[in-house]
Amino acid sequence: MAKMTLEELRALRDAKKNEMTQRDTNEKSAQIIIGMGTCGIAAGAKEAFDAFLDELDSHSVTNTKITQTGCMGLCFSEPTVEVAVPGMPRVIYGNVDDAVARRIVKEHLIGKSLVSDHIFDKPAVDIIK
Amino acid sequence: MHATICDMITDLVQNAIEARATEITLEVKETKTNLKFVIADNGKGMSAVVLEKAKDPYYTDGQKHRYRKVGLGLPFLFQTAEMTGGKAAITSKEGEGTTVTFNVDPTNVDLPAFGNFTTAAVALMSYEFEGNLSIERSAQNKSYSVNKNELVEALGNLNELESLTLLKQFIASQEEDLEAL
Ligand SMILES: Nc1ncnc2c1ncn2[C@@H]1O[C@H](COP(=O)(O)OP(=O)(O)O)[C@@H](O)[C@H]1O
Ligand SMILES: [Mg+2]
Repeated sequence: MAKMTLEELRALRDAKKNEMTQRDTNEKSAQIIIGMGTCGIAAGAKEAFDAFLDELDSHSVTNTKITQTGCMGLCFSEPTVEVAVPGMPRVIYGNVDDAVARRIVKEHLIGKSLVSDHIFDKPAVDIIK
Repeated sequence: MHATICDMITDLVQNAIEARATEITLEVKETKTNLKFVIADNGKGMSAVVLEKAKDPYYTDGQKHRYRKVGLGLPFLFQTAEMTGGKAAITSKEGEGTTVTFNVDPTNVDLPAFGNFTTAAVALMSYEFEGNLSIERSAQNKSYSVNKNELVEALGNLNELESLTLLKQFIASQEEDLEAL
Protein backbone atom coordinates (compact mmCIF):
# COMPACT_ATOMS: atom_id res chain seq x y z
CA MET A 1 0.00 0.00 0.00
CA ALA A 2 1.44 3.39 -0.97
CA LYS A 3 1.54 6.12 1.63
CA MET A 4 -1.94 7.68 1.52
CA THR A 5 -2.34 11.45 1.35
CA LEU A 6 -5.00 13.49 3.16
CA GLU A 7 -6.56 14.30 -0.23
CA GLU A 8 -6.91 10.61 -1.02
CA LEU A 9 -8.38 10.04 2.43
CA ARG A 10 -10.95 12.78 1.87
CA ALA A 11 -11.90 11.38 -1.54
CA LEU A 12 -12.43 7.90 -0.10
CA ARG A 13 -14.62 9.34 2.63
CA ASP A 14 -16.71 11.31 0.16
CA ALA A 15 -17.22 8.23 -1.99
CA LYS A 16 -18.37 6.26 1.04
CA LYS A 17 -20.71 9.04 2.16
CA ASN A 18 -22.49 9.11 -1.20
CA GLU A 19 -23.07 5.41 -1.12
CA MET A 20 -24.34 5.58 2.48
CA THR A 21 -26.82 8.43 2.47
CA GLN A 22 -29.36 6.54 0.35
CA ARG A 23 -29.56 3.75 2.90
CA ASP A 24 -29.02 5.01 6.38
CA THR A 25 -30.93 8.26 6.64
CA ASN A 26 -32.80 8.77 9.90
CA GLU A 27 -31.93 5.37 11.28
CA LYS A 28 -30.50 5.61 14.78
CA SER A 29 -26.98 4.29 15.04
CA ALA A 30 -25.66 1.52 17.25
CA GLN A 31 -23.00 2.49 19.75
CA ILE A 32 -20.04 0.61 21.17
CA ILE A 33 -18.23 2.20 24.11
CA ILE A 34 -14.89 0.71 25.07
CA GLY A 35 -13.33 1.26 28.51
CA MET A 36 -9.80 2.48 27.85
CA GLY A 37 -8.45 3.33 31.29
CA THR A 38 -5.14 1.93 32.55
CA CYS A 39 -6.75 -1.40 33.49
CA GLY A 40 -8.66 -1.67 30.25
CA ILE A 41 -5.52 -1.05 28.22
CA ALA A 42 -3.50 -3.50 30.31
CA ALA A 43 -6.22 -6.12 29.84
CA GLY A 44 -6.28 -5.76 26.06
CA ALA A 45 -8.89 -3.08 25.29
CA LYS A 46 -6.96 -2.02 22.20
CA GLU A 47 -7.06 -5.56 20.82
CA ALA A 48 -10.82 -5.56 21.41
CA PHE A 49 -11.09 -2.19 19.67
CA ASP A 50 -9.19 -3.56 16.69
CA ALA A 51 -11.30 -6.73 16.58
CA PHE A 52 -14.54 -4.66 16.59
CA LEU A 53 -13.28 -2.55 13.71
CA ASP A 54 -12.17 -5.55 11.72
CA GLU A 55 -15.29 -7.65 12.30
CA LEU A 56 -17.73 -4.79 11.66
CA ASP A 57 -15.94 -3.88 8.47
CA SER A 58 -15.76 -7.46 7.20
CA HIS A 59 -19.53 -7.86 7.64
CA SER A 60 -20.13 -4.47 6.01
CA VAL A 61 -22.03 -3.26 9.05
CA THR A 62 -22.92 0.43 8.82
CA ASN A 63 -24.46 3.07 11.05
CA THR A 64 -22.33 2.24 14.07
CA LYS A 65 -20.25 4.44 16.34
CA ILE A 66 -17.28 3.34 18.41
CA THR A 67 -16.32 5.59 21.27
CA GLN A 68 -14.02 5.21 24.24
CA THR A 69 -14.19 6.16 27.84
CA GLY A 70 -11.68 6.19 30.68
CA CYS A 71 -11.94 3.85 33.63
CA MET A 72 -15.44 2.35 34.08
CA GLY A 73 -14.53 1.29 37.62
CA LEU A 74 -14.83 -2.39 36.77
CA CYS A 75 -11.11 -3.19 36.68
CA PHE A 76 -11.63 -6.84 37.58
CA SER A 77 -13.59 -7.57 34.42
CA GLU A 78 -11.69 -5.43 31.93
CA PRO A 79 -11.79 -4.98 29.06
CA THR A 80 -15.38 -3.80 29.49
CA VAL A 81 -17.53 -2.69 26.61
CA GLU A 82 -20.97 -1.09 26.62
CA VAL A 83 -23.20 -1.82 23.66
CA ALA A 84 -26.34 0.11 22.75
CA VAL A 85 -28.31 -1.13 19.77
CA PRO A 86 -31.55 0.79 19.07
CA GLY A 87 -34.54 -1.21 20.28
CA MET A 88 -32.44 -3.45 22.52
CA PRO A 89 -31.44 -3.16 26.17
CA ARG A 90 -28.14 -1.38 26.75
CA VAL A 91 -25.64 -3.86 28.19
CA ILE A 92 -22.13 -3.93 29.56
CA TYR A 93 -19.94 -6.85 28.60
CA GLY A 94 -16.91 -7.89 30.65
CA ASN A 95 -13.67 -9.66 29.71
CA VAL A 96 -14.03 -8.72 26.07
CA ASP A 97 -11.07 -10.15 24.18
CA ASP A 98 -10.67 -10.44 20.42
CA ALA A 99 -12.98 -13.48 20.17
CA VAL A 100 -15.70 -12.00 22.37
CA ALA A 101 -15.60 -8.72 20.44
CA ARG A 102 -16.20 -10.66 17.22
CA ARG A 103 -19.08 -12.56 18.84
CA ILE A 104 -20.67 -9.30 19.99
CA VAL A 105 -20.61 -8.07 16.41
CA LYS A 106 -22.10 -11.26 14.98
CA GLU A 107 -24.60 -12.10 17.70
CA HIS A 108 -25.58 -8.74 19.18
CA LEU A 109 -25.12 -6.13 16.46
CA ILE A 110 -26.05 -8.31 13.50
CA GLY A 111 -28.09 -11.14 15.07
CA LYS A 112 -29.84 -8.87 17.63
CA SER A 113 -29.42 -11.30 20.49
CA LEU A 114 -27.33 -10.73 23.62
CA VAL A 115 -24.06 -12.57 24.27
CA SER A 116 -25.41 -13.75 27.64
CA ASP A 117 -22.30 -15.43 29.00
CA HIS A 118 -20.33 -12.18 28.91
CA ILE A 119 -22.92 -9.75 30.20
CA PHE A 120 -21.52 -7.92 33.15
CA ASP A 121 -24.43 -5.67 33.91
CA LYS A 122 -27.81 -4.75 32.49
CA PRO A 123 -29.12 -1.49 33.95
CA ALA A 124 -32.73 -2.36 33.24
CA VAL A 125 -34.58 0.52 34.92
CA ASP A 126 -34.47 3.10 32.19
CA ILE A 127 -35.16 0.53 29.51
CA ILE A 128 -38.35 -0.80 31.07
CA LYS A 129 -39.80 2.69 31.37
CA MET B 1 3.07 -3.44 33.85
CA HIS B 2 1.82 -2.79 30.34
CA ALA B 3 2.43 -5.51 27.77
CA THR B 4 3.67 -3.15 25.07
CA ILE B 5 5.28 0.25 24.62
CA CYS B 6 2.19 1.30 22.65
CA ASP B 7 -0.05 0.46 25.62
CA MET B 8 2.13 2.67 27.79
CA ILE B 9 1.93 5.50 25.27
CA THR B 10 -1.88 5.20 25.02
CA ASP B 11 -2.19 5.37 28.77
CA LEU B 12 0.04 8.43 29.07
CA VAL B 13 -1.73 10.33 26.30
CA GLN B 14 -4.96 9.61 28.16
CA ASN B 15 -3.49 11.22 31.26
CA ALA B 16 -2.99 14.33 29.15
CA ILE B 17 -6.59 14.16 27.92
CA GLU B 18 -7.82 13.67 31.47
CA ALA B 19 -5.79 16.74 32.50
CA ARG B 20 -8.05 18.68 30.10
CA ALA B 21 -5.31 19.48 27.62
CA THR B 22 -6.43 21.14 24.39
CA GLU B 23 -3.13 20.63 22.59
CA ILE B 24 -1.23 17.35 22.87
CA THR B 25 1.84 16.25 20.92
CA LEU B 26 3.03 12.70 20.79
CA GLU B 27 6.46 12.11 19.34
CA VAL B 28 7.70 8.56 18.77
CA LYS B 29 11.18 8.15 17.33
CA GLU B 30 12.99 4.92 16.71
CA THR B 31 16.60 4.53 15.68
CA LYS B 32 18.78 1.44 15.87
CA THR B 33 20.22 2.59 19.18
CA ASN B 34 17.44 4.58 20.78
CA LEU B 35 13.69 4.45 21.19
CA LYS B 36 12.16 7.66 22.39
CA PHE B 37 8.70 8.94 23.07
CA VAL B 38 7.61 12.33 24.30
CA ILE B 39 4.08 13.35 25.28
CA ALA B 40 3.63 17.07 25.79
CA ASP B 41 0.35 18.64 26.86
CA ASN B 42 -1.02 22.01 27.88
CA GLY B 43 -3.37 20.55 30.49
CA LYS B 44 -3.73 21.43 34.14
CA GLY B 45 -0.20 20.39 35.06
CA MET B 46 1.00 19.35 38.49
CA SER B 47 2.62 21.13 41.40
CA ALA B 48 5.99 19.77 42.56
CA VAL B 49 4.23 18.05 45.46
CA VAL B 50 1.61 16.34 43.28
CA LEU B 51 4.26 15.36 40.74
CA GLU B 52 6.30 13.62 43.41
CA LYS B 53 3.18 11.83 44.69
CA ALA B 54 2.07 10.87 41.21
CA LYS B 55 5.03 8.54 40.81
CA ASP B 56 3.65 6.47 43.67
CA PRO B 57 1.12 3.78 42.68
CA TYR B 58 -0.94 4.61 45.73
CA TYR B 59 -1.67 8.03 44.35
CA THR B 60 -4.51 9.01 42.07
CA ASP B 61 -6.35 12.30 42.12
CA GLY B 62 -9.39 10.80 43.83
CA GLN B 63 -11.80 11.92 41.10
CA LYS B 64 -10.97 9.95 37.99
CA HIS B 65 -12.11 6.54 39.19
CA ARG B 66 -14.20 6.41 42.30
CA TYR B 67 -13.69 2.75 43.02
CA ARG B 68 -10.03 2.30 42.21
CA LYS B 69 -7.75 3.88 44.73
CA VAL B 70 -4.51 3.39 42.87
CA GLY B 71 -3.15 5.10 39.76
CA LEU B 72 -0.85 2.94 37.71
CA GLY B 73 -0.07 4.89 34.56
CA LEU B 74 3.01 6.74 35.81
CA PRO B 75 4.29 3.94 38.06
CA PHE B 76 4.21 1.60 35.03
CA LEU B 77 6.38 4.08 33.15
CA PHE B 78 9.00 4.33 35.89
CA GLN B 79 8.96 0.62 36.53
CA THR B 80 9.63 -0.06 32.84
CA ALA B 81 12.48 2.45 32.84
CA GLU B 82 14.00 0.84 35.90
CA MET B 83 13.78 -2.68 34.47
CA THR B 84 15.29 -1.77 31.13
CA GLY B 85 17.94 0.79 31.99
CA GLY B 86 15.79 3.37 30.24
CA LYS B 87 15.19 6.93 31.32
CA ALA B 88 11.77 8.30 32.18
CA ALA B 89 11.30 11.95 33.05
CA ILE B 90 8.36 14.22 33.76
CA THR B 91 8.39 17.97 33.89
CA SER B 92 5.22 19.76 34.82
CA LYS B 93 4.01 23.17 35.80
CA GLU B 94 0.69 23.78 37.44
CA GLY B 95 -1.68 25.54 35.07
CA GLU B 96 0.69 25.21 32.11
CA GLY B 97 1.14 21.59 31.21
CA THR B 98 3.17 18.45 31.42
CA THR B 99 5.86 16.74 29.36
CA VAL B 100 6.63 13.06 29.77
CA THR B 101 9.79 11.70 28.11
CA PHE B 102 11.04 8.15 27.80
CA ASN B 103 14.31 7.00 26.22
CA VAL B 104 15.55 3.45 26.04
CA ASP B 105 17.91 1.14 24.19
CA PRO B 106 15.54 -0.72 21.83
CA THR B 107 17.65 -3.87 21.98
CA ASN B 108 17.31 -4.28 25.75
CA VAL B 109 15.98 -7.80 26.37
CA ASP B 110 13.72 -6.70 29.22
CA LEU B 111 11.91 -4.15 27.10
CA PRO B 112 8.25 -5.00 26.40
CA ALA B 113 7.39 -5.50 22.72
CA PHE B 114 6.73 -2.30 20.80
CA GLY B 115 3.14 -3.28 19.98
CA ASN B 116 0.81 -2.08 17.26
CA PHE B 117 1.20 1.65 16.76
CA THR B 118 -1.58 1.84 14.17
CA THR B 119 -4.20 0.60 16.64
CA ALA B 120 -2.88 2.92 19.35
CA ALA B 121 -3.00 5.93 17.01
CA VAL B 122 -6.51 5.12 15.75
CA ALA B 123 -7.77 4.69 19.31
CA LEU B 124 -6.17 7.95 20.47
CA MET B 125 -7.28 9.99 17.47
CA SER B 126 -10.87 8.86 18.00
CA TYR B 127 -10.89 9.36 21.77
CA GLU B 128 -13.38 12.17 22.23
CA PHE B 129 -11.99 15.34 23.78
CA GLU B 130 -12.08 19.03 23.01
CA GLY B 131 -8.67 19.55 21.55
CA ASN B 132 -6.02 18.62 19.06
CA LEU B 133 -3.60 15.71 19.09
CA SER B 134 -0.54 15.76 16.85
CA ILE B 135 1.55 12.69 16.17
CA GLU B 136 5.13 12.94 14.97
CA ARG B 137 6.50 9.58 14.14
CA SER B 138 9.83 8.48 12.76
CA ALA B 139 11.83 5.30 12.32
CA GLN B 140 15.44 5.36 11.15
CA ASN B 141 15.37 8.24 8.66
CA LYS B 142 11.73 8.15 7.59
CA SER B 143 8.94 10.09 9.20
CA TYR B 144 5.39 11.28 9.01
CA SER B 145 3.18 13.57 11.03
CA VAL B 146 -0.56 13.75 11.35
CA ASN B 147 -2.95 15.68 13.55
CA LYS B 148 -6.51 15.24 14.68
CA ASN B 149 -7.80 18.54 13.26
CA GLU B 150 -6.81 17.63 9.70
CA LEU B 151 -8.23 14.12 10.11
CA VAL B 152 -11.59 15.47 11.31
CA GLU B 153 -11.56 17.89 8.40
CA ALA B 154 -11.02 15.02 5.94
CA LEU B 155 -13.19 12.36 7.57
CA GLY B 156 -15.85 14.14 9.63
CA ASN B 157 -16.83 12.48 12.90
CA LEU B 158 -14.00 10.08 13.72
CA ASN B 159 -16.23 7.84 15.83
CA GLU B 160 -18.29 6.65 12.91
CA LEU B 161 -17.32 3.20 11.77
CA GLU B 162 -16.72 4.33 8.17
CA SER B 163 -14.30 7.05 9.35
CA LEU B 164 -12.52 4.66 11.70
CA THR B 165 -12.01 2.09 8.98
CA LEU B 166 -10.49 4.71 6.68
CA LEU B 167 -8.46 6.22 9.51
CA LYS B 168 -6.97 2.82 10.20
CA GLN B 169 -6.06 2.37 6.53
CA PHE B 170 -4.51 5.82 6.50
CA ILE B 171 -2.32 5.31 9.57
CA ALA B 172 -1.41 1.78 8.47
CA SER B 173 -0.18 3.12 5.14
CA GLN B 174 2.03 5.66 6.94
CA GLU B 175 3.39 2.96 9.24
CA GLU B 176 4.09 0.60 6.34
CA ASP B 177 6.01 3.32 4.60
CA LEU B 178 8.19 3.74 7.70
CA GLU B 179 9.10 0.07 7.62
CA ALA B 180 9.71 -0.14 3.87
CA LEU B 181 13.37 0.08 2.96
N1 LIG C 1 -0.34 14.78 31.93
C1 LIG C 1 -0.75 15.02 33.19
N2 LIG C 1 -1.18 16.27 33.55
C2 LIG C 1 -1.63 16.53 34.80
N3 LIG C 1 -1.67 15.61 35.78
C3 LIG C 1 -1.25 14.37 35.51
C4 LIG C 1 -0.77 14.00 34.21
N4 LIG C 1 -0.40 12.69 34.25
C5 LIG C 1 -0.66 12.26 35.51
N5 LIG C 1 -1.17 13.25 36.28
C6 LIG C 1 -1.56 13.18 37.70
O1 LIG C 1 -0.94 12.03 38.26
C7 LIG C 1 -1.94 11.14 38.80
C8 LIG C 1 -1.50 9.70 38.62
O2 LIG C 1 -1.52 9.33 37.24
P1 LIG C 1 -1.60 7.80 36.84
O3 LIG C 1 -0.46 7.11 37.50
O4 LIG C 1 -1.68 7.70 35.38
O5 LIG C 1 -2.93 7.30 37.52
P2 LIG C 1 -4.45 7.73 37.19
O6 LIG C 1 -4.42 8.40 35.85
O7 LIG C 1 -5.18 6.43 37.16
O8 LIG C 1 -4.88 8.62 38.31
C9 LIG C 1 -3.22 11.51 38.08
O9 LIG C 1 -4.36 11.22 38.85
C10 LIG C 1 -3.05 13.01 37.87
O10 LIG C 1 -3.42 13.72 39.05
MG1 LIG D 1 -3.53 7.49 34.15
